[in-house]
Amino acid sequence: MDRPGPSRRKVVSGALALATVAGTHQVRAASGELRFGLTPVFLTSDLELLDRLRSCLEQATGLSVRLVTRRTYQEITSLLLSGQLDTAWICGFPYVVNRSRLALVAVPVWQGKPLYRSYIITDRDRQARTLDDLRGDVHAFSDPDSNSGWLVTATALARDGLTPERFFSRTIFTYGHRNVIRAVASGLAMSGSVDGYVYEIMRETEPDLIARTKVVRQSELLGFPPVACPAGSIDDPGIRSLQAALVGMPEHPDGQAVLRLLRLDGFSIEDPSLFEAIAAEVAIVRGGG
Amino acid sequence: MIALRLPMAFKIPLVVTVFMAAVAVFVSERVLSRFQEAQTRHVGDLATIYLDGMASALVEPVVREDEWEAFDIIDRARQIHAGLRLTETVVALADGRVLASSDPRAHSSWSPLPPSFLTQRTQAPMVDVRDDEAQAVSRRDLASGGTIVGSVHATFDIAPLLAERRSVLWSLIVTNAALTLVLALAAWLTVRRMMRPIQVLASHLEEGAGQRVEPIPEQFVEAAPLEVRRLFQAFNGMAEAVQEREVLSRQLVEEERLASLGRLASGMAHEINNPLGGLFNALDTLKEHGERGDIRRRTIDLIERGLRGIRDVVRTTLVTYRADQDIHSLKRADVDDLRLLVEPEVRRKWLALRWVNEGYDELPMSPSVVRQVLLNLLLNACRAAPEGSQVGFEAHVDGPCFVATIEDMGPGLPIGARNALTDPGGKPLPGSGGGLGLWMVHRLIKEVGGTVAALPRIPAGTIVRITIPLKDEEGTANVA
Repeated sequence: MDRPGPSRRKVVSGALALATVAGTHQVRAASGELRFGLTPVFLTSDLELLDRLRSCLEQATGLSVRLVTRRTYQEITSLLLSGQLDTAWICGFPYVVNRSRLALVAVPVWQGKPLYRSYIITDRDRQARTLDDLRGDVHAFSDPDSNSGWLVTATALARDGLTPERFFSRTIFTYGHRNVIRAVASGLAMSGSVDGYVYEIMRETEPDLIARTKVVRQSELLGFPPVACPAGSIDDPGIRSLQAALVGMPEHPDGQAVLRLLRLDGFSIEDPSLFEAIAAEVAIVRGGG
Repeated sequence: MIALRLPMAFKIPLVVTVFMAAVAVFVSERVLSRFQEAQTRHVGDLATIYLDGMASALVEPVVREDEWEAFDIIDRARQIHAGLRLTETVVALADGRVLASSDPRAHSSWSPLPPSFLTQRTQAPMVDVRDDEAQAVSRRDLASGGTIVGSVHATFDIAPLLAERRSVLWSLIVTNAALTLVLALAAWLTVRRMMRPIQVLASHLEEGAGQRVEPIPEQFVEAAPLEVRRLFQAFNGMAEAVQEREVLSRQLVEEERLASLGRLASGMAHEINNPLGGLFNALDTLKEHGERGDIRRRTIDLIERGLRGIRDVVRTTLVTYRADQDIHSLKRADVDDLRLLVEPEVRRKWLALRWVNEGYDELPMSPSVVRQVLLNLLLNACRAAPEGSQVGFEAHVDGPCFVATIEDMGPGLPIGARNALTDPGGKPLPGSGGGLGLWMVHRLIKEVGGTVAALPRIPAGTIVRITIPLKDEEGTANVA
């Protein structure tokens, strides 16, 4: 089963460097099989979506596609770095941290841009208007390896020379953007850091849950969580065909259905410089830490 | 004791109602308590299943003190167990602090567990059903490797169970009330039907007490149940006997009236006949010696006295039997006049009549009644007295009463006659010779509010004493 979540105080890159994913399932490569890791960056609970995504990719690539999901970002990142996954949809934060060892396959396009924002949310009935109003809160983060669900807020605090642990009375990792919204909506947490893209999708899919929260702060536009592969395998035929399948999804009926479910416009091939802003955040947090 | 005075038609339905109510209360109590037990057991089973299911998932997050994980588990479980009416689930650490609650706003993480939850440690899952709060509170301890690491608490809304119980109670009340009503009505109808012959009998008896006793019509007798038919037949037999007796006593009254009338008429005839002989003699004397002045005067005087005697007898008879209500005063002479009517009987039997009538001139009372009473008693005394004996009459005023005593030396009044005189029970007694006259005496005395007493005379005979109260002060003023 899943191991307990990683210690919150460990530096993310350190953890990733050491990651050998002990105790996790061995993801073995079979001939002609593409192992595609998915992080909780989007709504992994939707089995229909997973099914359609797999069949769409299988048809487009001609390969057998195996979708691998894990509870935490770290597990997926480790599997990818250790070569147990051929490719994975990861967050911008682990991509930036491991930029030298990873290559971009494709970046989702949402609302016309390969960009999204991070939101800080709180209870609908609360008066808070700025991050500063949330001092002393019980704060829900999504994942210590999430850009929108941790890094953005940590960076904002680091700019003032603060850390989440000092600024908030207590922090909770919920390992999912939807969970952050649940935690805030239920009152378990007083505020939370959440992916703006997930939040906006949930406005449509779960309006009752969203209605109990409100957005206090929106970050600047940042690079959308990308699909990445180990740097050495970017030119593999399988990866190339996957890249073509992702970019060609709007033309494929199943692909259209998947994009519709994800509320995405499509996938595009982007330059790593798209993630400079996130890299700058990492630098600030590390400097501040 | 009021119930005892109610008619049967109400008493028996009342008893049925009370009995049914008692049965209903008892049965309802049993049903409800069994129902409550079943519900409690059901809640207990559900709570245990729920808590056991939660426990295995919650041990790890509790050990790690992972509030999100704990919250996630109980939050999802709430959705799964929606049918249980789970209101809240709280996960607590071993030190009594809340790790997570399904309603974090009510019980935030790390706050102390409120006392409304079960705070006592327990081996097995524990359920406390609180009817007054309409909720059930349960607890199960979480153990890891034999160590208690925390506890999971769940509260359930049992309002639907209570509502169900209330609806059962209401349906019991309504059903039992309807049943009781129907049975009471049936009892009332049955009793009424059973009592109808008795009512027929009662109404006939009541009628009989008032006037005539009528037999129960044949169609009622035939329609009645066997036992009642015998009762009816017995009543009809009795009614016929009473009717026969009534006819008989009416005949007797008539005969007695005629007899007493005859006696009086013969007395009167005798009284008129006596002077008539003298009158005819006087007429003969006048025819032969009418020219002699002294003889004529004497003879005319004799004729006048004879005619006056006849007039007095006729007038007394008229006065005695005239029911003249306008005359309200009794003169002494009215009583003395009675001697004239008794005289023939006295003379016929060679009796000595002792006559004392004094002490008053005029009394405020009906002369007709007093004279009829006294004449009846005097004639009775004369008839009872042996030939050549004595009959006594004495009348005077004693205080506020007129008292008259008649005594004879006869063989004494038979018991029947004495009863007829003093307490005849409102009806004439047949078969006793002088009974009827005495019964009339009693009735007349009673009319004027007097009393009559019959005493044996020593050594032989009877003394009858009548006492009639004077009407008012004015009357007593006239007493001389």
